[in-house]
Amino acid sequence: MSERNKLSSKLDTQVDDPIVSLDHLRVEFETDGGTVVAVNDISFKVFPGETVCLVGESGSGKSVTSLSLMRLVEFGGGKITGGKMLLARDGKKTANLSEVDVDTMRSIRGNEIGMIFQEPMTSLNPVFSIERQLTDGLRLHTNLSASETREKAIELLEEVRIPDPEKRLRQYPHELSGGMRQRVVIAMAMACRPRLLIADEPTTALDVTIQAEILSLINRLKRETGMAVLFITHDMAVVAQMADRVVVMYQGNLIEEGTVNEIFSAPKEEYTKALLAAVPQLGQMAGTSLPSPLNIPGASATVKPTSGDIGIEKKTLLEVKNLVTRFPVYGGIFRRKVANVHAVENVSFTIDRGETMALVGESGCGKSSCGRSILRLVEPESGQIFLDGKNIISLNGTELRSARRDMQMVFQDPYASLNPYMRLREQIAEPLNNFGLAGRSEVDDIVHDILEKVELPTSFLRRFPHELSGGQRQRVAIARAIVVNPSLVITDEAVSALDVSVQAQVLNLMMSLQDELGLSYLFISHDMAVVERVSHKVGVMYLGRLVEVGSRSQIFENPQHEYTRTLMAAVPIADPKKRNISNDMSFKPIPSPVFPVGHTPENPIYEEIEDGHLILRN
Amino acid sequence: MAYFIQRLLSMAVTLFLISIITFTVTNILPGDVAMMIMGTQSNPAALANLRENLGLNDPLVYQYGRWIFGMLTGDWGNSLLFKQPIGPIILQKMTASALIVLLSMTIALTLAVPLGVWSAVYKNRWQDTASSSVSILGVSLPDFFWGIMLILLFARALGWFPSSGFVHPNEDFLMALKHAFLPSLALGLGLMAHLTRMTRATMTGILSQEFIRVARAKGLAEKTVIWQYGLANAIGPVMTVAGLQMGYLFGSIIVMESLFNYTGMGWLTYQALLNRDMPLIQATVFVIAAVVMLVNLIVDLLYPFFDPRIQLK
Repeated sequence: MSERNKLSSKLDTQVDDPIVSLDHLRVEFETDGGTVVAVNDISFKVFPGETVCLVGESGSGKSVTSLSLMRLVEFGGGKITGGKMLLARDGKKTANLSEVDVDTMRSIRGNEIGMIFQEPMTSLNPVFSIERQLTDGLRLHTNLSASETREKAIELLEEVRIPDPEKRLRQYPHELSGGMRQRVVIAMAMACRPRLLIADEPTTALDVTIQAEILSLINRLKRETGMAVLFITHDMAVVAQMADRVVVMYQGNLIEEGTVNEIFSAPKEEYTKALLAAVPQLGQMAGTSLPSPLNIPGASATVKPTSGDIGIEKKTLLEVKNLVTRFPVYGGIFRRKVANVHAVENVSFTIDRGETMALVGESGCGKSSCGRSILRLVEPESGQIFLDGKNIISLNGTELRSARRDMQMVFQDPYASLNPYMRLREQIAEPLNNFGLAGRSEVDDIVHDILEKVELPTSFLRRFPHELSGGQRQRVAIARAIVVNPSLVITDEAVSALDVSVQAQVLNLMMSLQDELGLSYLFISHDMAVVERVSHKVGVMYLGRLVEVGSRSQIFENPQHEYTRTLMAAVPIADPKKRNISNDMSFKPIPSPVFPVGHTPENPIYEEIEDGHLILRN
Repeated sequence: MAYFIQRLLSMAVTLFLISIITFTVTNILPGDVAMMIMGTQSNPAALANLRENLGLNDPLVYQYGRWIFGMLTGDWGNSLLFKQPIGPIILQKMTASALIVLLSMTIALTLAVPLGVWSAVYKNRWQDTASSSVSILGVSLPDFFWGIMLILLFARALGWFPSSGFVHPNEDFLMALKHAFLPSLALGLGLMAHLTRMTRATMTGILSQEFIRVARAKGLAEKTVIWQYGLANAIGPVMTVAGLQMGYLFGSIIVMESLFNYTGMGWLTYQALLNRDMPLIQATVFVIAAVVMLVNLIVDLLYPFFDPRIQLK
């Protein structure tokens, strides 16, 4: 237990009374399949001015706990079936939130407890102005006049560092960027000066630079107002950056509680240790040149470090030269092309056999378009693509189809990329039948074999996708990709939607498959720490252009381009002793890649500062 | 503005196609205008003479040109049945039908929107089942059944409303409403079913969105959350469906106006078809198509007021 806890129990002073204390909270959901216990037995306290991080993987009950505190869990069909949630109220009697009536709860929501949610894109009502959404809480909980509420709204926007607050008030959510929207949501939650702010995965849907800004904003507001923060996240790096104390949850139970230093330097429970081990840490790979699997305690130690030496002599597999992909924007009476989105602009790189090249960058930088252009899922405007010497751009429809056998793709969302009506056997056999690669008798053997390779039990063959977990589905997606024996696999954010421990397993699987089959990966990702772990080569994309490319160590240990450095500075480090999120971070917003028709961008000029380390100089 | 012009252009193209189809179809039908005027037992020579005078021996393209030019310049010709210029007839009948169309749409929306919202709020509970049952009943029984039932109940048994006839709103607005009410209610019940389903589906989607949770987290009352935060997002889609229902409505009034002997566009169309009044058929079809398109254009133009994300360009 923390010092503070001991102190408060000893002296029982006003100062150290917790704002909320959860006492054996239990929450259940009635479903068609019976009662599901989402939170089994949770007790913890939040004290004034501190940040408590509630951490756990999906299904741990962390969000349900926070929704229960707001009594919002009932709207989703949940029911608080046991325990107390005591809220200390300013000048009023302590309330037990498990039992208070609807009207009291409404006077607490948005007033004494503020809450922000995960999705800034959907957290704001699209048909109401910012002013209305920002002021309706104030109108409800305070007696301010109309002009005072408006002034207060402007003040709030200034507080969350939104430029031009008066103009913003008149705008609608769709006119703001994701980062701006999350700031508005925070301003809304802060409107009535709550004593507790609950933040439920507030940065999960945001780019890393915007995440850094939002985290620093929450820290600053906490310092300035003295409110307590209950921060719900699955991201251990964010925990390390934000928490004073940490509560680790697993399947509705509290596993471990302690100060952030205790949890990170001396975790007591196996689960906490496993969770921490599965998190790739930026900078962890310094001094090594090859990718290396993640440690998963409890898992068999058979995952050996990838050799990088796969017995094939180093040979270029994929060569991309001056690739350009643009998407038209139509407008006017006759729907003519009025502008172009310059998604991929003059990008060149090569991937060797058995090598992983990562493309990193923030949303909209063109990394996914680049991957799709290589498969010609979107048609590039110009440039050349050679796979094993074959000119992909010049192929006709039939030739392209057979060429795609050599380059397969794994997508981000394993829920959407598998056909829900097909059993796993058919899912995996489908690519074989597509390309006519195996006779009826052979198919079963190959499918069995592949299933073993992706470490799924053969009993799964008759299952449908909805009977699998996210990680298992992604294994199926990988199986579908490698069953046709490709030389290149393009993975587009393939592990981004997975829990850390599952992510670690899938990454390790991908690395061992590379070792075994000599695969090359084009690994598209926004996660710098994962990229550092898995790749031989890294390309950093910004506004459709490759701004820096080089070996993993060149990029991570000696970043030269300004944007690469910005990106690195914004990545939270999973170590509470290395806090890099300062109190007022602000990064330049990424400009628009839309240009009028006829705009010809300059040819990129690269400077080679080391062997293979190129930096864009214009 | 560019959007408006674009929409008007595409409307003109559609109307042109409709005019060609109606003109062709009415010309393919056996019997022509001259035959209708003179009757089937008439003197062949006189018939031929009349054909020549009416220009029926000219190439079809010429006849079409003459007709469409007339339509565009306001000379819509004479009805064979009523022996009167078509323009004023249609104007008068359109006023009568506008009353029914607006009234039935109002009835449908005032019933459907609350019922649909209620269904969505109590999704999969008994309230939802009840409202779904009412909707299914509304869809599965034909309009004229409701018409007959309403006549029996409100006109025969209770005597609250007249069972047939039309009064022009300029003469006596209250009486006009009374005469329009029963046919409108019968039409409205059928429409309501579709709109309830639509409102329910839209609201179900909206209520599961994060901004609804955010609104609750602010401490807003549940009625504000649903009827303001939620419903404001549903108006656009519901209005769009209501606009599309206009076409269906103009089909339904043919039966309903005839049943209530309410002399509007539906009744007129029916009379025109029954008596093979070719010029009148052509004009009514053309006008109904134009009105339906116009209503949908208006709905689309109003869309930015329901949803600020929509920009007409």
